[in-house]
Amino acid sequence: MAGLASRLRRRPPKYSAAALAWKGLRGEGWPRVWRDCDLQRSYDAVVIGGGVHGLATAYYLARNHGMTNVAVLDKAYLGSGGSGRNTAIVRSNYLTPEGVAFYDRSVHLYERMAVELNINVMFSQRGHLTLAHSDASLRTMHWRAEVNKLGGVNSSVIGPDEVKQECPSLDTSDHPRYPIQGALYHPPGGVVRHDAVVWGYARAADHMGVEMHQKTEVTDIICEGGDGPDGKGAGGRVTGVRTNRGDISTPIVINCTAGWASLISTMAGVRLPITTHPLQAAVTEPVKMFLPTVVVSGSLHVYVSQTDRGELVFGASVDPYANYSVRGSLEFTEGLAGHVLELMPGISRMRVLRQWSGLCDMTPDYSPVMGFTPVDGFLVDVGWGTYGFKAAPVSGEQMAEAAATGRTPKLIEAFALSRFDDGELVGEKGAASVGH
Amino acid sequence: MTMSRQGVQPTEVIDRAAKLRFRWNGKRFSGFEGDTIASALAAEGEHIFSRSMKYHRPRGILTADYWDPNLMVQVGDDPNVRAGHRLVRNGMDVRSQNAWPSLNRDLKAANGLLGRFLTAGFYYKTFMRPQWLWPTYERVLATFAPGGKIDIDTPHGYHDKRYTHPDVVVAGAGPAGIEAALAASTAGARVLLVSHEHAVGGHLRYSSDAGDQGALAELRASLDASDVEVLTDSTVTGRYEDNWLGIVQRNHPIAVERLIKARAKVLVAAPGLIERPYVFEGNDRPGVITSGAARRLINLWGVKPGERAVVFSANADGDAAAADLERVGTEIAAVIDARSGGQISSTAGSSRAVEAVMANGEQIDADLLVMAAGWTAPTSLLNMAGDRPVYDPAAARFFPSDPPSNVLSTGGLAGDADLDGLRQHGAETGRLAAARAAAVRHRLQARTARALPVEGDEPAWAVDERVPLGRDPHPELFRADTHGMVDMSEDISSKDLVAAAHEGYDSVELAKRYTTATMGPSQGKLETVNTVAAIAEARGETISQVGTTVWRPPYAPLTLGALAGRSFEPVRVSSIHPWHEANNVTLIQAGQWLRPDHYGDPQAEVRNVRENVGLIDVTPLGKLDLRGPDVPKLLSLLYVNKWMKLGIGRVRYGMMCAEDGVVLDDGVTGRLGEDHYMMSTTSSGAGGVWEWVENWLQTERPDWQVHVTPVTTAYASINVAGPKSRELMRRVCEGVDLDAEAFPYMTVREATVAGVSGCFMWRIGFTGELSFELHVPAGHGCHVWEALMDAGSDLGVGPFGLEGQRIMRLEKGHFIVGQDTDGLTLGPSTGMGSLIKLDKDDFAGKPELAWAADRPLPLVVAIQPDDPDVVPEEAAQILRGDTNEILGRITSSRFSPTLNRSICLGQVEPHLAAGGTKLTVLLESGERISATVIDHHAHFDPAGERLRG
Repeated sequence: MAGLASRLRRRPPKYSAAALAWKGLRGEGWPRVWRDCDLQRSYDAVVIGGGVHGLATAYYLARNHGMTNVAVLDKAYLGSGGSGRNTAIVRSNYLTPEGVAFYDRSVHLYERMAVELNINVMFSQRGHLTLAHSDASLRTMHWRAEVNKLGGVNSSVIGPDEVKQECPSLDTSDHPRYPIQGALYHPPGGVVRHDAVVWGYARAADHMGVEMHQKTEVTDIICEGGDGPDGKGAGGRVTGVRTNRGDISTPIVINCTAGWASLISTMAGVRLPITTHPLQAAVTEPVKMFLPTVVVSGSLHVYVSQTDRGELVFGASVDPYANYSVRGSLEFTEGLAGHVLELMPGISRMRVLRQWSGLCDMTPDYSPVMGFTPVDGFLVDVGWGTYGFKAAPVSGEQMAEAAATGRTPKLIEAFALSRFDDGELVGEKGAASVGH
Repeated sequence: MTMSRQGVQPTEVIDRAAKLRFRWNGKRFSGFEGDTIASALAAEGEHIFSRSMKYHRPRGILTADYWDPNLMVQVGDDPNVRAGHRLVRNGMDVRSQNAWPSLNRDLKAANGLLGRFLTAGFYYKTFMRPQWLWPTYERVLATFAPGGKIDIDTPHGYHDKRYTHPDVVVAGAGPAGIEAALAASTAGARVLLVSHEHAVGGHLRYSSDAGDQGALAELRASLDASDVEVLTDSTVTGRYEDNWLGIVQRNHPIAVERLIKARAKVLVAAPGLIERPYVFEGNDRPGVITSGAARRLINLWGVKPGERAVVFSANADGDAAAADLERVGTEIAAVIDARSGGQISSTAGSSRAVEAVMANGEQIDADLLVMAAGWTAPTSLLNMAGDRPVYDPAAARFFPSDPPSNVLSTGGLAGDADLDGLRQHGAETGRLAAARAAAVRHRLQARTARALPVEGDEPAWAVDERVPLGRDPHPELFRADTHGMVDMSEDISSKDLVAAAHEGYDSVELAKRYTTATMGPSQGKLETVNTVAAIAEARGETISQVGTTVWRPPYAPLTLGALAGRSFEPVRVSSIHPWHEANNVTLIQAGQWLRPDHYGDPQAEVRNVRENVGLIDVTPLGKLDLRGPDVPKLLSLLYVNKWMKLGIGRVRYGMMCAEDGVVLDDGVTGRLGEDHYMMSTTSSGAGGVWEWVENWLQTERPDWQVHVTPVTTAYASINVAGPKSRELMRRVCEGVDLDAEAFPYMTVREATVAGVSGCFMWRIGFTGELSFELHVPAGHGCHVWEALMDAGSDLGVGPFGLEGQRIMRLEKGHFIVGQDTDGLTLGPSTGMGSLIKLDKDDFAGKPELAWAADRPLPLVVAIQPDDPDVVPEEAAQILRGDTNEILGRITSSRFSPTLNRSICLGQVEPHLAAGGTKLTVLLESGERISATVIDHHAHFDPAGERLRG
């Protein structure tokens, strides 16, 4: 009976307009989006971090590789870290061929996500403008556009008049201190409802048998055979994790955390070239739609888009100092407002409703660290800096492949931890100080 | 419900002699000075002010204050104005938001019929197929965005900021807050008292009790006689690290809003309590109001809220509301006392008005339901200070737990007492705050270098000996046995929250994100506790177990204009700028600088420099005056090459790398005297290099004796370049031998130029010609420039701009940091690897550069397109044959008037760097052209004969 029950549970009703109508008429509720499970003593793989990266990894482990005896652990609730704190921008107009190929795959996965996961993640491909306020930044835009085109990504440099057409609320006159001289225009870029991506992956993974464990904090990673204390470190292998709810044995541990990526990796004796910086964001009260595209200005350190609820969501570059605090600062909102009003002087009466910040794990070349480590069975998907949300689907797909097959997929070869020893850095740092 | 203006109330804040006229949705209305928009409209019988977000239900007054979610209106070009708070002004144009075609007839109200299908988060479950229709769905969904309208032509307006350093800031001006301010001030503290309302007094303002009014008058008189600075219509919006406070002042006489930034030594949080609505079926029907709303309407503005009322009361405020209503002639149909088990379950009526109330199982006809169901403690400022407030079920609200010791609370936030008890606690809090502030002040003064010596020992940190306020028992009232609205601004019902919790969104954060409850303009002020209660109920847990969301800044929204303040982005120009302006210049934005790009024909300017002599204004070049015996050590540490043996009068080129080995900046440094050097940096790197130098000196080598002074704008800099430059210089210089042997290439001399003493000049240039780079005291820049132009007229002297210089430096193959290099270009990649001296002790970037020394790195090379007329774009990619594999890119590209052909610099993979290598370059047009790597970086005069002159 138990087996039957579990099979039935794993065929939950699909989301659709018809199902909404049917349930609405009958006054029925929906089943749990994911189950509450007891923590087992062992799993085939443990994913640390219940954000978009960890959940996508678990989902693809189950979907593409049939690995369903998998646990996703999160010390708080699902999506409580960067997944729910980012500004939800998705794009693929990167500077390096590696970045372009990787994020292009991510955009494609986002395009299919609503149908594949059967949850509306509201991917709004409204177009993405990266403004240039100097001839130097215009030159970088041209560089990016050329690399993008070669990678098959829709991206081009447009002049101020076209900028005005795409986004009439921008001041494209020569009045601002740093007039808009042009922009990199990337039509497939846009915004996604970030929480829905978290829930969608969790729900779909749950349907295939993956367990989500919230309020489950990893306190140590158990290793043997390594060259460091307690068998941790290079040459060793992972045997399990210790949590606030007990020990779990597992041959594979995937670190999909952000903000604490270096601390978690240290638990396995793996050092990462990561410093953690807060990145602040803010949202205004809603007004009727007036901003049709995503707008980014590297020189003014700001990016802004308007949600379907009418709010403006702003972000800036990471704070200049390393810090684990997620409290916002007053100076951030002041600088942000000043810069936004440079772009759109007409919105001075919009009101900031809430500010918050998230943690960004910065690497020396502003590119992630993905794949295997010197500790057998310990994989990392970390160092996402300010780009993590955009990369979630493709990262999950590729990390799942690495974990399941034991081989590094081609798409993420460039992002291996070993590049910091080999010197093969990926040059996204050259792109811009504000990478959205 | 019928609202109307009554006779004069003793407590009213309106001036009936001052009539104001305004428009509401195009129709004429009037009010009195002191009316809010909402009270003026209510006095004239308006009872619907907005439509709800999702179902477009008509909404009326709920709380009649700043936090009322139903009173958001558009005033002129100002969206989302709080009509419950904003005062009426003559000529105001007020419009309702979120209604179409009109507030009274809103087509989207049809959504109400679909309510059972439009449960919270319904949009996640539909609109997925067909995929191509999603953009259309999205456009429709976006029309439901609530809020007002933006007019993108709204002028920025005048905004200012104020900085202040009070000892004590008191946030909230109720009786406890006022007493705290007075006591702190009496104890010698400098005090800022911030009142969110238009006048101080808190809940006393709308109390008709004679004792309360007497106390209010007394408190106001004391304040007037005190040194306390009082801000009204202002809110402490955020508490940041170390009591850094943001305060928004909304009644500044000139600015729309003003941001005040205060560093308080002690913050006293005394925001009072916010009355919490009760959740039951029909609780959002116009005519359902809080007891505070009833009392404000009656006592502040003389507005009778209805004809026949049911009062649902769980506390003294409810009883006071009933008394006030009776006094103005509202018939009290029933008082349902929750303290003795009385219960209401629903209202009946049209969508536009209450007609009856179901209470204790019976139907009572009424047009008004007044609810006094309890309070939300606005603990935001404590949360921002790191406190995690704790729920007390006996008192049915949250209380502070353990805030930092420089944040104190008093008033309703801290507990309950009668008026005397609250005042007493406030006063004790004020004294404690003043004592602690004195200790902080003492410490700050003692620790501030160059401050006056501080007298006495630091006062001990005052111990908190306040008698704690009590906690009155209060019934836990969140929801009746029916479901109703929890979040009015988001149209989220308790049913939605329960359903979300059952669906698995059962932590308060998940439920919040899924349903959007507490995410609207009121940010949880009214609905947080009810939201938590609904989730707790669904989970069968207590409110303490569920916990609350984290309140984040700002406490009250503030405009972008106030945050931005005045924009301070000065334009930098050199002292020679007036001459450029008078001489047909085309300017270019270069960082903060406006620089001459050219004077009409850059190609002609190049030819003139190559044939005669030209002047360029290079004032933005970074200049750092370095003095002290340890300057050579500093130079050796920051440049990759050697500096210990630079002779006096000599100049050397240097390249700087960051610690990751990436090229940071380059320039020349000259030795002017025994311990005196002048460093030049790139124009764009001037600020960054100064910070870099200071960072090393202050954090890594604090023992070195080096004094750094940025003098970029202290000098006007002019490069005199061309074969006739020496002749020109001879005509204007005194006291210096300009012969090639006496003043050779890469040396520096001090001189008097055109009568201006204190100039120095070095024999270098970016153009490849014989050049003198003159640095003259800035005030004399224009004079020297004009003197040079006059003196050289027969030599063919002319100005040249940045574009001409860029062409000439490209002809010479000089790279520009940041253009020909990027964020990953290591030192050796510039082709100047021989400059890097790995045998030096230590220098910035050495480990990385040592590691990179024997590795194949991309290289900067000079490239010439095989077709001399094709000028590739800067950014054109270098590809492997017909493939799309990228092997490099063009970084600089121009047509050379000297060589009469196109010339480039580019970065290529190491195997393509040898002279003669054929490259394929992809133009932006899509065409592929062939090009050739040349042997030297210099396209022109590779031996450098011209510059030595």
